[in-house]
Amino acid sequence: MGRGMGKPNDRVFQKKVIREAFSLLDTDSGPVISDFPEVILVKDGRMGYALPPDLVLSVEDIGDVDAVLAEVKAEIADLRPDYETAVAARGRTTVGASGLEIEEFALFVAGFLNGEIPQSPRKDMPAIPLLKLVVEDLEAYFTETRTHRDSIDDLELMGKWFWEESKTGRMLLLLEAVSIASKNKVMLQIVEMSLMAPRFWSEGPLPGTSAAGW
Amino acid sequence: MTKISEMPAVARGFISNLELPVIDDPSWTQPVPANKRRISIVSTAAVHRRGDKPFSWLAKDFRAFHKSERDLVMTHVAVEFDRSAWQQDLNTIIPLERLEEMADDGEIGSVAEEHYSFMGAADPVTMEKSARQAAARMKQDGVNTVFLIPI
Repeated sequence: MGRGMGKPNDRVFQKKVIREAFSLLDTDSGPVISDFPEVILVKDGRMGYALPPDLVLSVEDIGDVDAVLAEVKAEIADLRPDYETAVAARGRTTVGASGLEIEEFALFVAGFLNGEIPQSPRKDMPAIPLLKLVVEDLEAYFTETRTHRDSIDDLELMGKWFWEESKTGRMLLLLEAVSIASKNKVMLQIVEMSLMAPRFWSEGPLPGTSAAGW
Repeated sequence: MTKISEMPAVARGFISNLELPVIDDPSWTQPVPANKRRISIVSTAAVHRRGDKPFSWLAKDFRAFHKSERDLVMTHVAVEFDRSAWQQDLNTIIPLERLEEMADDGEIGSVAEEHYSFMGAADPVTMEKSARQAAARMKQDGVNTVFLIPI
C-alpha cells in the first residue's frame, strides 16, 4: 500500500509493473485478475509502519505544554536546511496539505494539548480536519528530509524514527492521549479509527479504544 | 504485498469483514491495440494540486490535474499506507513520467492531458456521479484506456 509501482526512483521496476498491468488487456475476454510475479517482502504481514501497541502516552505525560512546543519547534528548525536541500534536489515537496507554513505546524498542534479545540487559522476548514493535515505535513517534512539526506528508502525505519524517537512524534502521541480523553466525538473518532497515529497494522487496538471504527 | 492470513489483528479483522462486490453482468470492451492507447490515470490516493480544496474524509468527488503537474499534495484520510515512497518519487503511485517514456518509445499511443484522483477511503458506490463526470472529460480528451491505480 502506497507503493503501487513498487519502488521509488526505479524506472525499470516501475515499467515492469506497468507492462504487466497492461498485458492484462491482451486477452480476448474478461474481466481478468492476475498476481504480479515478483513479491516485495514486508515486515510482519503489514504494509505500513505500525506503532508498538505498548507505546502509549497519557495526558499526565504532557507536563509543560510550552516546553513540549519549544523542543518540537527546535527540532523542526534543525531539520530545515536538510529539508530545503531535499526539496531542491527533487524539485518538489508533498509538504503543504494543510496550507499552513512549516513554522506554524508545532504551535497549531500544541494548541490541542490543553484539551481545548483551538480556532482554525483557515476560514475554509475546521480545526480538527486541519489537525489531520498538519500531522500529514509534519510526517512528510521529516520523511522527505531524511530519505534524501541519508539516501534511504525504508518505511519501517522512517516510521520508527518519526513516531518513536523524535520530539515531534512524541508530541503527536500526547495529542493521541488528549484525543482519547476528549469529549469531542470527532477527536475520539480520530483515535478509534487510527486516523492520525499509525496503529492500523499494530497487533492490537490502542488501549482505551476498541478499534470499533474499523 | 501480504496475505490476509499474515496480517496483524486489527488490519486482518477489518479487511476480512469487507464485502466483496458482486458484479452480475461484467462488461468487457475489447481493448484497442497498445500503440493506439491514450491513457488516463485514475488514482485513489486523494492527491491534488497544491491550493485545490482538500478532500473531505468520505469525499465522493474527484480532483483532476494536468499531465505536467508535479506539485501535488495528499489529503487522504487514512494513514495505514506508506507515504514515504511517493514523497520520494511521484511515479511510485502516479507514473506519469513512465507513461510519457512509453509513449515516446511507441509502446503506448499517448498520455492523456488530464488525470484524476479520488478519496479511496470512501465507498465507490457513492462516487458514481463523479465517475461519470470524469469519464465524460476523458472522452472529450480522446482517452480510450484508463489506468486505475489503487493506493
